[in-house]
Parts: sequence; structure tokens; C-alpha cells
Amino acid sequence: MVRRRLLSLILAQLNMNFAISHSRYYYLKKRERLWEPILIAVSIGILAALLAFGVFRISSAYYDAVAAIGQGDLTLILGILLSQLVVLILGFVLVIAVFYFSNDLSILIPLPLSPAEVLACKFSVILSNEYVGLSVILVPLFIAYALKAGVSPVAYTASAILVFLALPVIPLTIAAVPAILLMRVANLSRRKDVLVMIGGFLFIIIIVVFQFFVQTRLPGPGEENEFIRRVLSAANSLVSLVGRQFPPSIWATRALGSAGTLPGFLYLILFLGVSALSLAVLFGIGNKAFYEGVVSGFEAADATRKKLLAGQFPALRFHQRSPARALALTEVRLFTRTPVFVLNGFTGFVMFPVMFIIVFLVGRVGESGLKDLWSLISSLPDIRAAGALVVGAYFLVSAAFSSIPFTPFSREGVRNIWIPMSMPVSGRTISLAKALGAEWMITLGSLPGVAVLEYLLRLPVGYLLSGVAIGVMISFAFCLWGCIVDMARPMLNWTDQQKAIKSNLNTALGMLAGIVVTAILGLVAKIVFATGIPGWAVVTGMGVIVTGILGLSLNLTGAIADRIWCRRHRI
Amino acid sequence: MSGYSLLIEGVSKTYRGSTRPAVDNLDLEVRPGEIFGFLGPNGAGKTTTIKMIVGLLRPDRGRITLDGCDITKDPIRAKGQIGYVPDNPDLYDRLTGIEYLNLIADVFGVPQAERKRRVHDLMDMFELGGAITDIIQSYSHGMKQKLALMGALLHDPRLFILDEPMVGLDPRASHLFKELMRKHCDRGNTVFFSTHILEVAERLCDRVGIINRGRLIACGTIEELRSLHRTDESLEDIFLELTGATTKPETNGPGLTTDREGR
Repeated sequence: MVRRRLLSLILAQLNMNFAISHSRYYYLKKRERLWEPILIAVSIGILAALLAFGVFRISSAYYDAVAAIGQGDLTLILGILLSQLVVLILGFVLVIAVFYFSNDLSILIPLPLSPAEVLACKFSVILSNEYVGLSVILVPLFIAYALKAGVSPVAYTASAILVFLALPVIPLTIAAVPAILLMRVANLSRRKDVLVMIGGFLFIIIIVVFQFFVQTRLPGPGEENEFIRRVLSAANSLVSLVGRQFPPSIWATRALGSAGTLPGFLYLILFLGVSALSLAVLFGIGNKAFYEGVVSGFEAADATRKKLLAGQFPALRFHQRSPARALALTEVRLFTRTPVFVLNGFTGFVMFPVMFIIVFLVGRVGESGLKDLWSLISSLPDIRAAGALVVGAYFLVSAAFSSIPFTPFSREGVRNIWIPMSMPVSGRTISLAKALGAEWMITLGSLPGVAVLEYLLRLPVGYLLSGVAIGVMISFAFCLWGCIVDMARPMLNWTDQQKAIKSNLNTALGMLAGIVVTAILGLVAKIVFATGIPGWAVVTGMGVIVTGILGLSLNLTGAIADRIWCRRHRI
Repeated sequence: MSGYSLLIEGVSKTYRGSTRPAVDNLDLEVRPGEIFGFLGPNGAGKTTTIKMIVGLLRPDRGRITLDGCDITKDPIRAKGQIGYVPDNPDLYDRLTGIEYLNLIADVFGVPQAERKRRVHDLMDMFELGGAITDIIQSYSHGMKQKLALMGALLHDPRLFILDEPMVGLDPRASHLFKELMRKHCDRGNTVFFSTHILEVAERLCDRVGIINRGRLIACGTIEELRSLHRTDESLEDIFLELTGATTKPETNGPGLTTDREGR
């Protein structure tokens, strides 16, 4: 009975998560915008295939390198460990969003279900999303290893499927337990949203620092000799290092590497057993603390009400603003007061300065991924001008990876989109307001990173301000175009706020567009630098180009927005 | 200018994938100073009609004008005349009540002194003063409904459009709100609302329209509907008869029509 009930719940959750009935209704029954799912499926399919092929090639090459020293299993260890770390970092925010900010909690909680059952069906949603992402990485990795290592096909395939299914469980559990405890504590406070955001960022920073220290022990490009020396050194071998840091990745590797043998089978049992145990611990903690966290959240909201008699109203502030300013302010307020949006949108703004600080505190620039950036800047004749452009580019990259500019209408959701749609404002005003709100958040969010860059580059004030001005203008233009894309095809049907931004194709489009624009502008700057033009002239020239882009964007997006907004009569 | 606050001419709407129109060749006019009740069973097309009036849906055919402004051709000016409250008042949960009201006042260009006076009056009337600085997320359904009504009334709209406005209001708020609707219309404004509560429609409305299967099957004052049916029955009985029976259509002069099957 319990099993059937749970299965039914999980199937319903998965149905909503992947919008199965929704898609069937709109695309198959009503046959609305049939081109859309086809286009999306083809695009995602091509991207996934390219990514999977890349992983396959890298895994094969890596295997060849390490197999030469008898350490072929390292391919699996690295792949599994990195996958688990990604699940761990992203899992925390995902857990908070799905466990605590789902629209359907008020439906699920009154049902005669135990907290563990509700938790289990919510956990299945997260797990299923992780499987989709991990399949692109792990399936080609497992295939590459199988082809190279010459494994027993049946035993290896069976082990690989089981390892794949169990792989995200432990890191998600590690992320979920502190998330549940954090929500339990935060929901008792009046400032619960602030606590959730601080707690979330702290967790992410801790994991990033941990990951950094693990990664600095791993080989970088061109360090094969040092890598081989370390691997061969029994006292400091990578395997033992990783094994000490996170043993389940070793068990999973051994289960696959020795599939079809008794040790392989035992490692598989061990890995699956610990994964099951971690689930049991999660559900045990969830049974005690999950509902308390959710329900105390509802209580805290009601308990804050001030009981006032008629005529004793608080001193209210009435500032008159233009519609665009009022809408922009609302945009900022709604975003910054929603923990899930902040944890997703601002993670990059927090992580970048933290990573830079860590890198420079431990003095390992040469061994990090920043090496290329530094060699590029150092090679340019005028480091001040190059630094100013790096500052400008930072705004654009931050904007692209924040998911803020490409989701302003999606975030309204089907519940709230009627509000802007019934307002007497034009598409131009709405898009300008949303872009202004996004730009305001991007500018503020980028400032800590700019401060770190200034500390490192020691730019004169003029160059620094030029860089900031270029950054603000280009990121504002980017926000304007982001609004247009999201106005044209918003993702309004979502069950939790995480989906509005992370499962939104517009976010991926924004990232891609940000990378492409940054690369083009970077290339232009590099070519201009190569002609020997003075640095100040390059910065000025870039300022003029960016001003032109912004002016053009303001005109074009306004006209496009008016047209789209007039046609957007379907909610 | 047509002289009507709201004029709906030959409006039809069929949702994609559906063979049956949600609204079928609807003609309706509402005069200034009138409270107009829009009645109909579930799925009759009330909400679709209201969404087309306020610009949330575009009609496939026909024209809707608000005080002479075509909602499709000049949506910004037309929307500026409207105060709209949807059937489910989903507002911005993360704003406080006063922030929401200020947003609406800014968008509709309500001057500072005017908005201050109106906000205080409406807070007094709906007894929302104690919660106005709290976030909307903490409001009950009824409080959200009250806030949505306050937002819709803040700019003193020429045309007040409400989809099931009484749902969620307590008896006192409901009573005050009905008085407010009357006063609003007495100043020459217009109220157009859908409701299932036929007693309210019977007592409050100057005229009612009954829609069934997307078609207007009756329209007029309560007295006109009674005389049409040659009965002293209540509006509820007339409504049940019109929406439940299958008899031949009748036409009874300008502005007063019945069509029991919606044909």
C-alpha cells in the first residue's frame, strides 16, 4: 500500500517535472507551436551529442596517458569524482528550491503521507534531473573506459547501470542534510530568507574551497611528468588522495574496473549499500525535521503581522515614480527577496571573487585555469588598457552566467504574468524596466569582482572607471536583448522557482550569447592591440563601439518589444 | 465615441486545438454609470470574455472598445481606463502590500497626494491597515482579494472589471464593497463583474447578461428578464431555466435577447 502510494506520488512528480502531460496536451492534443519542441529537442540533442563526443574523446585520450603507467582506473576516478562534486555544489540550491519552495507543498503536506514519503518524491525529482545531466558525462566516460580497458561486457554493463543510478545519491544526501537543518533554523527566524541566502552561499563557498584544494592536487595541462611522479609515489598518489577525500568514488571505480570479479562485486555492494544508507539517514532526518522546517516557515510568515487598530496605520511612504522606474524597482525587489533566485543568480558574483582570492592567497596562479588569462593580459603592450577591458568583459560574463537578464518574464510565472499584461504600459517600457532592474543587480553583483580585479591589476582610476562604464553599457545592452528573448518565449509553467531559471532554455541561450559576444569583442581588442595603437585609444574605441551597440539595442529592442508585447495575448 | 463604457461587437474566441468556440459572436454594451452582472455556468465563457476585455486574450474576431478605445488597436489607453481584479488574486508574494499599491499607482500615474488619500481610505474600508507593510505571501486569500481590489480602485478607473469579486471577502468587506461599487457607478463610472452569486446580481446589478456555451442568451434588467418569461421567479430560477433547458430560441427587441441553447 505504502509502496504503491509512493510510486504514484513519484510518477506524478516526475510527470510535472518533465511536463509530460503538459507537453502532450499542448503539443499533441492542441498542436500549438509544434515547431518549438522539435527545435528544442534537435538543439539539445545536437549539443548533448557534441558534449558526449567531447567527453568520449577526452576520456579515451586520458586513459591512454594514464594506462601507460598502469593507472587506467584514474579515468573513472576523475570522471566520477568531478561528477559528484558538481552534483554536490549544484545540489544544495536545488534541494532548497525543490524541498522548500515548490508550489505543491501546500497540497502535499495535508495529504496523509509521512514527511519521509513527501521527501522521497521530492528527492526523486532532483535525482531525475541529475540523471539527465550526468548521462551526458558518465555514459561516454563509461563507454570509453569499457572500450579501452576491455571489460567483461555483461558484468560491466550491469555494474555501470547500478553505479550510474547510485552515483548522485551520496553527494545529494550530503547537500540535503545541511539544507534541511538550515531551513529548520532559518524558518524560525523573521529573517529567514536572508539566512537561507547566507547559508546557501557559505555552503557553496566551502565546497568551492574544498574542490579547489582537491583540484590543485590533480594534474594540469602540460604537467604530465609531475603528475606521473605523484601518481607513482605511493605516499602521495592521486588515488589514495582522492580516496581519502571521498572514498565512494574509489568504490564506484573499483566496482566498474573489476566488474565480473568478486572484489568488483563487493565494491559494488559497498557503494550501493552506503548510498542506500545515506538515503536512510536523509529520510530519517527528514522525518524529524522536514515538516518542521516547512510548517514553521508558514507560521513565521503569519506571526509577524502587527495588529493595528483602525487609524493606527504605519507611516507609509508614497514616492511617485515613472512606470519604468517603478517596474524596475519591483523587478529588483522580487528577485532579491526570493532566495532561490538569489542563490542561482548571484552564485557567480560570489564565487568569482572567492576563487580569485583563494588562488592568490595560496599563490597558485600558474597552476590554475587563470593562467591563460594572465598570460594573455601580460602579453599585451598596455596592461592598464587590457585590464580595463577585462573589467568590462567581467560585467558581460557575469551577466551571461547569472541567468538574470534572460528570465525576467519567465520568473513572473503563469500566476503573476497577468499583472504586467493588464498594465497600461508599452512593450518598450516593460522591457526597458526589466532590463534596468537586471542591470542594476548585475552592476551591484559585479562590484566585488571588480574590486578584486582592481586589487590585482592596480589600474589607474581613469582606466578602472572606463572599464566599469564599458561593462555597464555592454551588459545593459545584453539585458535588453535578454528581455526580448524571454518576452518572446517565456517559460511560465513551473512548479518551483529553480525551474524558471535553471531548466529554462533562455538561460542557456544567454550563456552562449554572452560567451560569443565576449569572444568577438576580445578578438577585436586583441587585433587592435596588435596594430600598436596606444592603450588609451583602444579603450576609447571600445567605449565608442559599446555605446553604439547600446544605442542601437535601445532602439531596436524597444520597437521589437512593442510588437511582441502587442501579440502576447495568451496566458 | 460610442457612448458606451464597454462595447463588445461580434467577438469570438476559439482556443487552439478546440473545435468549440469559448466565446461565440458576442455582442454586448454596457452604459456609463451601470453595474453590469455577467452570469453563466462554469465554462460558459465568462472569464474568457473578461480576459479579452482587459487585453489578456486577443479575440479571433470582433471588436472590444472601452470608452471608445479599441483594446486591440490602442491597448495602453484602453487599459488605462480599467481597474481589473482576476478570479484568483495571485499577486507578487514578495512585495509588501504598500509596495504593490505604490507600483500600481506609479504605473497608472496616480499623483502622490491623491494616492495617499485613496490608500488610506481603502485601507480603512477593507481593514487592511495592520498588514499593509507585511509581505503579501503572509496574507490570507481574503486579504489578497482585498489588496487586489484596492489596487484596482486606486486610480479610480472609469471601468471596473471584476471576475468573481465576492469570493474570499468576509460579510462586512463584501457589504462595504457592494456599497463602493454603487458609489463608483453613481459618479458616472461603470462596473462589470462576473459572479455565481445570483442574489448579489439580483440586488446590485442594473442589468445582467447570461452567457452559456460562449453565447449571450439573455441580457437586460431583472424586471425585463422576468417579464420576458412572464413570471415572478427569482433570477436563480430564470438562470437555471435558461442554462439548463433546450427550447427554441426567442428574440425580444433591441437590447433584450434570449437564446436558450446559445444558438
